[in-house]
This record gives sequence, C-alpha cells and structure tokens, in this order.
Amino acid sequence: MNEFFAMSGYGKYLWPAFALGFGIVILNLVLAWSSLKSARAQARRRLEMQS
Amino acid sequence: MAWVWFHRFGSPPWVYGFAQRWAPWFGAVAGIAMVVALYAGLVLAPPDYQQKDAFRMVYIHAPNATMSLMVYTTLAVSAAVGLIWRIKVAHAAAAACAPIGAWFTVATLGTGMLWGKPMWGAYWVWDPRLTSELVLLFLFLGYMGLRAAIEDQQKADKASAVLAIVGAVNVPIIHYSVVWWAGLHQAPTRKFGADADMAWSMVWPLLLMLTAFGLYFVAVFLIRLRAELLRRERNASWIREVLA
Repeated sequence: MNEFFAMSGYGKYLWPAFALGFGIVILNLVLAWSSLKSARAQARRRLEMQS
Repeated sequence: MAWVWFHRFGSPPWVYGFAQRWAPWFGAVAGIAMVVALYAGLVLAPPDYQQKDAFRMVYIHAPNATMSLMVYTTLAVSAAVGLIWRIKVAHAAAAACAPIGAWFTVATLGTGMLWGKPMWGAYWVWDPRLTSELVLLFLFLGYMGLRAAIEDQQKADKASAVLAIVGAVNVPIIHYSVVWWAGLHQAPTRKFGADADMAWSMVWPLLLMLTAFGLYFVAVFLIRLRAELLRRERNASWIREVLA
C-alpha cells in the first residue's frame, strides 16, 4: 500500500496534481450549480415584482 | 425538411428544457467513466520504463489540456454562429463555455507544473507550449471580462464574439507548438494501429478519461447554459413556465 502511494518516488507531485485536477472538476460543477441557483432566484424575484 | 429539427436549437425555451433533461445523464455517465478511468490509470496501467509512475500524470493533465482547447473551439464557433446568424442561444452557449474552459486551463497549467518539476527540474519554463497555453487562459479571462464590462447585452455579445474569433488563432498555435518549435514539452505520444507508441494497457484508461471529461464538460455546460438563458431572457414569457 505504501508503495502505491509512493508512486516510485513521484507521489509528492502526482497526488497534488490529481487533487488539483479533480478538485477543479468538482469546483466547476459547484460553480455552475450556484450560478444556476442564483439565476433562478433572480428570475423568481423578477416575476414576483411584476405580478 | 431534415433540417427542421435543427432549428429547435435556436429556441431558448426548447434548449432550456433540453439542457434540464440531459445534464444529469451526461454527468452520471461522466462520473462513472472518471472513476473507472482513474482506477485503471493509477492501478491497472503498468509504470512507464522511463518516467516510472510519473507518467500517470498524463491521465489528469492530458484530458484537461484537450478540454481547454476543445472548450475554446466550442466557444469561438458558438460566438461566430451567434455573430453571423444572430442566434441568441449561440451567444449564450459561448458565454457558458468561458468559465468552464478557464478552469480547465488552470488545471492544465497546474498539473503541468507538477509534472514539469520532476521531469524538467522546473515548475515553469517559457516553452512555446506552456506560454501559448497561458495565453489561452488570458483569452478566456479577457472574454469574460469584456462581457462583464459591457452593460448592453447585444453589444457585449458582438464585441466578445469578435475577441473570441480573433483569439481562435491561438488554438492551432498551442496544438502545433510542440511540432513547430523546439521546446521542453514533448510532442504527442499517442498513435494508433501497428506502430502505436503507447501500450494498449496505458492507452485505454487515457481514452476513457478523455471521453469522461468530454461528457463532464457537456453536463456542466448545460447547467451554465440554463443560467445564461435565464439571465438574458429575463423578460420572456417562457421563464414563468419553466420556473412554475
């Protein structure tokens, strides 16, 4: 198991790279969701004001 | 007649509904494919004879790099379509691409730096590939900044579309930079068929990860497109129906 995480000595570069890559994968999704959520809330407020 | 279905993509309410229905499916398939590709890339694929386990960087670096170029191309083509045929949905699509592409570019540069340090001895060198990829980040940021700076929607669409199209010249420069100029960054390894440069056990996790990133982009893009349509169509009557 330790051998796996050591990655023939490159673990200290490899794991941060994968953490960064997949961190951004998650971040992109979260940011898109929150952008949609705020757009929906904005549109709702607008509709309420009109009616 | 055969083209009738295509016109639906110009209709904001239809596209909104389409995006709502399909984003979860693209996201789910992408998620499963990513997990499988990650396991295959980190565990199943054998270490490289030169780079040992450091070559596994390819499974995170290459998909991000590929997507950064694909997303910019999608952005520029959408912007051009919007500019030429005056299709609002196309401008919305271009705008939806920008932040996603910018993040893919950040991931490309970051993972590349972490690969560069052990292989080249430096996190950063002003190599043609690295420099042109950095320019790509500035193009994404410039496109977003320009859109944000112009209040009028139509003017913002037009001005940012011109920037996006002019910036597209950078895409082939990035792609061919490793062929045209001598730098530290390697040329593409991937080749298929009898003279393949990479063993199948190393290639298939990469192809699966590339596919997963493509599907993932579609999912995130569809979510961003919905947000974009809601903002720009705020006075349209269909908004009331989709929010009900």
